[in-house]
Amino acid sequence: MEDPDQDLKATDGERSTAPDFDALVSPEELVRGNRTRDDFLDAVLGLDSPATIDEIANHADHGRDAAKEYLEWFDRMGIVTRVTDSPVTYERNQEYLIWRQVQQLREQYTTDDLLEFLQTETEQDEIYRETFDAESPETVSISAHAADTDRSIESVWDALSAWKTTRRRITLLERALASAPDGTTDRHAAA
Amino acid sequence: MTNECGRTPVSGTPEDESSAPVDFNRLSVIEERLTTGNRFSHIKTQPEFAPDRLVCVYDSRWYPPSVQTARLEIIWFENGDFSLHYHETHEDGAFDHRWDRHPSGHNTRDHIHPGPNAPTPGDDTSHPEDWRDVLSTVLTEIETRQRGFWNE
Repeated sequence: MEDPDQDLKATDGERSTAPDFDALVSPEELVRGNRTRDDFLDAVLGLDSPATIDEIANHADHGRDAAKEYLEWFDRMGIVTRVTDSPVTYERNQEYLIWRQVQQLREQYTTDDLLEFLQTETEQDEIYRETFDAESPETVSISAHAADTDRSIESVWDALSAWKTTRRRITLLERALASAPDGTTDRHAAA
Repeated sequence: MTNECGRTPVSGTPEDESSAPVDFNRLSVIEERLTTGNRFSHIKTQPEFAPDRLVCVYDSRWYPPSVQTARLEIIWFENGDFSLHYHETHEDGAFDHRWDRHPSGHNTRDHIHPGPNAPTPGDDTSHPEDWRDVLSTVLTEIETRQRGFWNE
């Protein structure tokens, strides 16, 4: 990345109050979190296929004993599933991730909030269906659509990703609403 | 077909044009990590219940008064694609720099759009495989620029 232009740099007077960059946590430490648990969570959430304890220890950059302990704990929590016994392999439990997101929606929002979000996302989905003239984003080819509509690959990719994101939100919201207890009284409405 | 890091293979295959929804789980992990430390004054998400990007606003202490605001916008997708956009505003203009991994009509999947105006097309490049390495590399590059404001 470019250095700042000379005319943007601090003046001699301002330089006396220069901030202390060296006091910052390094970017490497910041993005990794500060606990062994974060290292193992990152390692298992990044798995696309079953992995051995040694492989996961390697991803997490920790020892085998720690890996074994965390994996057994994650297994009890439902974050990973044990796939084979010899050698022992684990895989990410995708259902857990979805379940966790649904739980967070249930905890943070009222049923009325969730219905309102769903209404907005459903309207957005309808707009995308008209824009792409398709029932589902899965059936749209980026390059074909870009050529047909004289748009750039990037702009079609961007819109198609946004449509898929809208679809994902609808799925999560529908599941959160489906798991809502019957006869829930909205706490805002009741107030 | 993706590898363990969720990266789609490059080259002119149909997979090269794939897209995926925003990875809400990853954004939530990133938000949690970046909230610690003193780099950012605050992180905004929109919509809040399932954000499509994190807007990380740098604390003004890292800049001289010539820089009005600076932020890093972070978007990550479930197939490993991403777009990280650094944006500064000045009294008489702006500075932009983007690190991208996504299908493109003018670049490889991995590319950057260098400042000052992050023009299209950008420069082909190769970003690290692990998302944490991508993010720490970007934060380091931004910090280098920030330090540059204070050098003679």
